[in-house]
Amino acid sequence: MTHRYIKLGLTATVLVLAFAGLMWSTLQDGTEYFKHVDEVMVNPTAWEGKPLQLHGYVVPGSIMKRQDTLEYKFKVQNNPIRDVNQGHVVEASYTGIVPDTFKGEAEVVLRGKLTTSGFHTEPNGVVAKCPSKYQEKASAGS
Amino acid sequence: MASLGTFLLLAAFVTCSYAAVVSVAGARRRSRQLIESGIGAFYLICAIMTAASAVLINAFLTGDFSIKYVVHYSDSVQPLLYKLTSYWGGLDGSIMFWVFLLSIFGSLAVYVNRERHRELIPYVVATISAVQMFFLFLMVAHKNPFTTYLTAAPTEGEGLNPLLQNFYMAIHPPSLYTGFVGMTIPFAFGIAALITGHLDDSWLRAVRRWTMFSWLFLSFGLTLGMIWAYEELGWGGYWAWDPVENAALLPWFTATAFLHSVMVQERRSMLRVWNVTLVIVTFFLTIFGTFMTRSGVVQSVHAFGDDPILARLFIGFMVTILVFSFGLVIWRLPLLKARNELDSWLSREAAFLVNNWVMLFAALFVLFGTMFPTLSEAVTGTRLTVAGPFFNKWMTPVGLILLMLTGVGPLLAWRRSSFSNIAPQFMWPVAAGVAAAGLAIGYFKIPFWPSGLCFALCGFVVGTIGQEFYKGAAIRSRNTGTDLFTALVGLVGKNKRRYGGYIVHVGIVLICFGFAGNARKLDEQVLLKLGATTQIGKYTLKSNGVKVIDDGQKQMTTAYIAVFVDGKEIDGLYPAQWRYRRHEQEPTTEVAIRRTPAEDLYAVLGGFDLADQSVTLQLVVNPLVNWIWVGFGIMALGTGIALLPERSFAFALAKMPAEAAATTVALLFIVLLSSGATLSAQAGMGGDANTRTSFYPRTPFEKQMQHEIVCTCGACGHQTLAECRKDNCATSHEMRGQLAALIDSGVTDHDKIIQAFIAKYGTEEMLGAPVDQGFSRLAWLFPYLVGATSAIAVGFAAVKWSRHADAPAAAPAPLDSALEERIDDELRDLD
Repeated sequence: MTHRYIKLGLTATVLVLAFAGLMWSTLQDGTEYFKHVDEVMVNPTAWEGKPLQLHGYVVPGSIMKRQDTLEYKFKVQNNPIRDVNQGHVVEASYTGIVPDTFKGEAEVVLRGKLTTSGFHTEPNGVVAKCPSKYQEKASAGS
Repeated sequence: MASLGTFLLLAAFVTCSYAAVVSVAGARRRSRQLIESGIGAFYLICAIMTAASAVLINAFLTGDFSIKYVVHYSDSVQPLLYKLTSYWGGLDGSIMFWVFLLSIFGSLAVYVNRERHRELIPYVVATISAVQMFFLFLMVAHKNPFTTYLTAAPTEGEGLNPLLQNFYMAIHPPSLYTGFVGMTIPFAFGIAALITGHLDDSWLRAVRRWTMFSWLFLSFGLTLGMIWAYEELGWGGYWAWDPVENAALLPWFTATAFLHSVMVQERRSMLRVWNVTLVIVTFFLTIFGTFMTRSGVVQSVHAFGDDPILARLFIGFMVTILVFSFGLVIWRLPLLKARNELDSWLSREAAFLVNNWVMLFAALFVLFGTMFPTLSEAVTGTRLTVAGPFFNKWMTPVGLILLMLTGVGPLLAWRRSSFSNIAPQFMWPVAAGVAAAGLAIGYFKIPFWPSGLCFALCGFVVGTIGQEFYKGAAIRSRNTGTDLFTALVGLVGKNKRRYGGYIVHVGIVLICFGFAGNARKLDEQVLLKLGATTQIGKYTLKSNGVKVIDDGQKQMTTAYIAVFVDGKEIDGLYPAQWRYRRHEQEPTTEVAIRRTPAEDLYAVLGGFDLADQSVTLQLVVNPLVNWIWVGFGIMALGTGIALLPERSFAFALAKMPAEAAATTVALLFIVLLSSGATLSAQAGMGGDANTRTSFYPRTPFEKQMQHEIVCTCGACGHQTLAECRKDNCATSHEMRGQLAALIDSGVTDHDKIIQAFIAKYGTEEMLGAPVDQGFSRLAWLFPYLVGATSAIAVGFAAVKWSRHADAPAAAPAPLDSALEERIDDELRDLD
């Protein structure tokens, strides 16, 4: 009986270790840091090249699109536009179709990497939240 | 009406508490009367919830904008169907819908099993009532759908989220809820079995069908969710490991595991603790999934927003479930001992066991991945997220292992197999797998990992299932002397669960086949000027510009794209953006899809410029994607066969095949039709190109008149001019125009306008009174009908209940005294 338990224990340990190792290694390249603009721009060099999900608000009027292409350049600031203090601002670039909700003042999460020339957003990496009418009203009402 | 609704919810809560308390008391005192009273109260909850639902639906239909919930999730121009579906459009209503469904299912389950599993019933009633109490409490105390405005109520609603105004979205939540809620029934029976100690296999028989039924609806809900994501969200895919999707997938894994391991318990009396655990975990995951998505713990596109109070209530409930259920399991461990041990790892039960482990692993992994952002934030303070690729990396091998087990399991014998006797078994399936691999990798040049391997395994599994059917049919045909086909039908009829299960596996294979098509997916984003062309796959697309149409409820911007293959124009695509009124900031993308069995061509209108008629398009070529939907159809058919009652087959044996074939054809038709319908809807819309405004009422008077005069087009079921806007109806448009013209010309007298209309049309057909006619009358009557039915049901339940209450009083003595003594003994032993 004890022999059987040793065997079981060993198998379990090996399996758990192998699993943990695999999990660790895949998590290494599978995860992205979720950060606000301020957190990153306090010390930008530390974050350069790391996979990031950057949260911020599009500065109104900053969205520029190159004629006849899908190349966008825009600025993102840390705080909502109605705040007096904007927080840090970062320049971002993106190529592709932007969501319908992507416009000035929109709350966005950009997936990509920080480079010396600004935040480089990867394809399909723009998630824009609409200033949700439902939820604000719902919570204000209840 | 709102106060009636609130009152009904309170009444339901009180009745629930009564049912729970009385059932437990009755079971402990062994009082027939108390137990019957508990069951009666339990049926009563169902009636009360039906009445409450009728009140809410009525509020939506009549546009009672004094109720906040109605204001938030509907408006008066919404089509009838979506007014009904607004019931579960928000959190409060979906909780209520949950309780409503649970009360129906619970009553059904109790009614069906009240004789066969008499000893379990009181605890089943108590468990389900306790669950209902939680949700009712949630509503009464925190999320009452009948909350009204204290001050002036708005006169118009905000409208249901446009994204939810889609046919699939109308049936996706009820289907998913049916699956979720259905899982409560096995849980209640499991708990009852644990409490009473009746832990033989009889409770399993009671819940097997329920689990299968719930599993089917869970699968259906998941599939509908995928179709919805594919057609409505417009990013070219169907599964994104979104937290809400994951929440529905978690119990699906454990329920699937349970459906398999239950066979091991029936055959070999093993895995008893495991089965009880799976039932508990499955139920827990349905609650956890709801918590995860509805409390805002994990943010996602679907989440209803942050709500700390809700989160705390849910956490309390979940902790209670876990402590209580597993406490019972530990207490009953001695009774749950397995009667057999695993003889060999080369046996079917071992294959089932591995399947179960992998399923459970999959569930835990998805749970981990979904909660990872929250976990990492709690542990390290930094919110780390994991995205689709991480899930795919892990779930691809998991899926492939499961697919392989699907093929291996049936080839192994129960107890033990030897290598020498499995070799001939494996020969043909392996050959089929190799052939599929050769075709996929050699001919179509698909990479081995993971799609090539997936195709190979699909071939292998199909080989296994084909061989099982063939062998079984051949033996039966030899024994009965019938032809092979008749034998095949008889075989399925003889053992519906087994062969129904194999048919489900065929569906799974098709679904995997569809998933594997992803390897050849093409995805491009292009900007096309008027007349410019672009190339994707074998298709050449040419832009013919953009047009804007307004139908009153929404403004539709449509791009006109011509599709060429080899220089020949074969089709047109009309991707569009719709902007609903009051939701102008959130346009919905209307995807254009050209479907073929081999691949879909999928176009999304990402942006447009009306000035120079240029369009931005996302183009996707999705190979084999339609096989996923077909696979689900086959899966449903297989589950249906497995669910057929045992005795139905005895006399229906000969008829069965025809019906089954008809069902398949019907299912396939539904799948294809529904896809075809969206396609043709797109095409039809493309044809109607003139831009028009639609005469919105400018003054309250005009609005009132629009509500009084009925459209005469004959196709809309006598909707008023204000309502008949959804189908680009030319008649109502014209009539609204006349009304506007009359008002503009200075006629502001109500009767004069009516007279003018009667004079013009020569009939009184368009008068307000006939609103209450035909289909509309049915719609208006519906809530009252439901209300009346439930009132009758309440009365009936009350009468029946009171009758039962005194009936047993007459006959308590003859109640088998020997049996009672035995029960007493057993109970003493347990205590």
